[in-house]
Amino acid sequence: MLEIDAISRRYGSVVALERLSFAVEDGSICGFVGPNGAGKTTAMRIILGVLAADDGEVRWDGGRIDGATRARFGYMPEERGLYPKMRVADQLEYFARLHGVPRGDAAAAAQRWIERMGLTERARDRVEALSLGNQQRVQLAAALVHEPVALILDEPFSGLDPIGVDVMSEVLRERAGAGVPVLFSSHQLELVERLCDSVAILKAGRLVAFGPVAELRSRGGRGAWRVVVNVNGDGTDWIARVPGARVLQADARGLLVALEDGADEQALLDAARAAGRVWHFAREEPTLRSCSRG
Amino acid sequence: MRPRYAAALVARREIVERIRDRSLLISTAVTLAILAAILLIPPLIGIGGTKTYKVAVAGPQAKQLARAAQRDAKAFDAKIEIVRVADERAVRKAVDAEKADAGLSGDARAIVVRKKLDDKLGNALQEGSRQLRLQAQPPPPLPVHTLLASDNSDDLQTITFVAVLLLYFQLVGYGYWLASGIVEEKASRIVEVLLATIRARELLAGKIVGIGIVGFMQLLVIGVGATALGVATDQVNLTGDTARAVGVVLAWFVLGYAFYACLFAVAGALVPRQEDIQNTTTPLSIVLFGSFMLSFAAIDDPGGGRATALTFIPPTAPMIAPVRLIAGEMPVEQIVVSVAVLLAGTAALVAIAARMYSNAVLRTGTRVKLLEAWRSAQS
Repeated sequence: MLEIDAISRRYGSVVALERLSFAVEDGSICGFVGPNGAGKTTAMRIILGVLAADDGEVRWDGGRIDGATRARFGYMPEERGLYPKMRVADQLEYFARLHGVPRGDAAAAAQRWIERMGLTERARDRVEALSLGNQQRVQLAAALVHEPVALILDEPFSGLDPIGVDVMSEVLRERAGAGVPVLFSSHQLELVERLCDSVAILKAGRLVAFGPVAELRSRGGRGAWRVVVNVNGDGTDWIARVPGARVLQADARGLLVALEDGADEQALLDAARAAGRVWHFAREEPTLRSCSRG
Repeated sequence: MRPRYAAALVARREIVERIRDRSLLISTAVTLAILAAILLIPPLIGIGGTKTYKVAVAGPQAKQLARAAQRDAKAFDAKIEIVRVADERAVRKAVDAEKADAGLSGDARAIVVRKKLDDKLGNALQEGSRQLRLQAQPPPPLPVHTLLASDNSDDLQTITFVAVLLLYFQLVGYGYWLASGIVEEKASRIVEVLLATIRARELLAGKIVGIGIVGFMQLLVIGVGATALGVATDQVNLTGDTARAVGVVLAWFVLGYAFYACLFAVAGALVPRQEDIQNTTTPLSIVLFGSFMLSFAAIDDPGGGRATALTFIPPTAPMIAPVRLIAGEMPVEQIVVSVAVLLAGTAALVAIAARMYSNAVLRTGTRVKLLEAWRSAQS
C-alpha cells in the first residue's frame, strides 16, 4: 500500500502542497484529479523522490521509502522523456537495468514489452524515427519494463489516440489486477470515473475530497437540474424567486441549478415557465465534475 | 532492487551510444588524416627525404673527412656537396652567411654550424669521421660549436606542438560533448525519469566517466595510430621523446578532463535547450583557449618562470605541464605539486558541480542563474 502522509511543499512563498494525505491500496486504481496548478505533479514528484517534501512522508507497506523501494516503482512524468537517438530495444533494456533488473532478464523484459506494444518491427529503430503514438507506447513500456510494484503516472492519457487510450486503460487494469497500486492524474474525469476505484481531488494544494468513486458521487448530493429556458435577455434573475435554488453554471448548454434539501423542483420548473419557454428540464446525475466543482 | 552500480550503467550507456555514433568515427578519421598529412606531405613536396647539404672545407684533412662523409651520406638520407674555401675564417664566414650548412675546421676536429646541426648531416659527418679515424684510435665524438644560442631541437618542438594541439581539441571537444549530453537529457525531459530511479550524483558521475573513457580511447587510437604511421613512413623516430609525448598527453587528458568536465557539466545543467548552450560554455572555452595560447610561450621556454608558475594553477596546468614534461623541463617535485594542486581543485569542483547540477538539472523551463543553482534548496 502506498501512503501519502501529511506532505507539504512550498516554492518560496507559494504553497504547492498543504498537508496532503491519502492512500492507494494494493490492487486498486486511484485517480488524481484537480485543476492545473493544484499540486498533482508536485505530489507525484515527491512520491518518486524527485522532489523533497518540506514536511510529511510517503510510506510503502507501512515503512519509509528508501532508494531500493523507489527503484521498483514505475513512473511516467507529465513531460515525457526518452533518448531520441537511442534504439527502442536498447532504451527499454537500459531502463530495466537502471531499475535493477539483471542483464539477461532486462533484455527479455524489453522484448516482451515491445511485442505487447506491437512495436516488434520498430525495435531496432531510433525513438526519434517513431510516430508520436508509438513514442507514447515506448514511454509506457519504459515505465513498466521492470514489473513495478507501484505505478505513478502523470497524465498518462493526454495526447493518446482512442486506441492508445484503450491500450493504456487495459494495461492499468491489468497491473491493478496483479495487485499493484496504481495512481494516475487526469483531466478526463469520465475516464477517471470509468477506471478508478478511488479518487483524490486536489485544489490549491489541499485535498478537498478522497474516497471510493461511488461514495464521492453520492456525496455530491441529489445532483442538479439542468434547465434550458428561452428567456428574453440573458436573465437568470428569475432563479432568485425560487427558494433554495442556486446557479452552478450558465453556458450554451443552459443553466445548471442546485436545489437545497427540501426545495421543490416543481417550483423551479414553474418559475422557468414563467420566465420563458422551457426546452429542456432534467436531473443530472452527480459526477466527479460536480464533486470537484464543490 | 536498486542497481548496485547505477553510475557504471550510465557510463556504459554513454560509451556504447557514442561509439555507435558515426561522428566519433568521423572525427577520429579526420584527426588521423590531418596528422598523416603533416607527416606525409613534406617529403612529397621535397621537405625531408634525401636532402643535399653544403659543407665548407679548408685544408686537406677537412676535405678528406668530407669525402668520407660523402660516401656514407646516403645511409642517412643525405647528400653532401663539398664547398672548398681558402681557410678556417672563410669556413666560418660561409657558414654564417648560410652559403654552407656546416663547415669543417682545418684540422677536421670540429663541425661548425650557424644555429644547430641538422641530424642527417651530423650523422653523416660523424660517421665519416669515425671511418677515417678507426685505424688510429677510437675517436671521441666531434664537439659541435654552435654560433647562435639555441635550446630545443625542432623535432621535439613539433612533437610538443602536435601533442598540445591534440590535448586542447580533446578537452574542448569532450567538455562540450558532456555539456550537450546533459542538455539533451534536460531538453528531452528524460532527466525526470532518470532521477526517479537513480541519484543525480550517480547520473552525473556516470556521464562524466563514460564520456571521459570515450575521449581517452579516441586519444589513444589517434596517438598510437599517428605514431605507427610516422614510424612506418620513416617520418618519426620512435624515440623516447615520442613515446613520452603520447604518455604525457594521455595522462594529462585524464587530469584536465576531470577538472574541466565538472565545469562543463554545470554549464550544461544551467540551460534548458541546446541553442542556449553557448551562453554558459563560452567562458570555459575562452579559459581553455587562453591556456592553449599560453602553452606556445611555454614551448619556447619550458623552464622559464612564467611556464613554471602556470603549471601550478589548475585551469592552465593541463595545457602547460605537458609542454614542460615533453621538453623534460619539469623536476619531479614540480610534477607532484602540479598534479596535487590540480587534483585538489578537481575535488573541490566535484562537490560544487554535484550540488549545482542536482539543483539545476530538473529545472527544465528557463535558464538557471549560477547563484540560484548554488543556493536553491536541495531537492
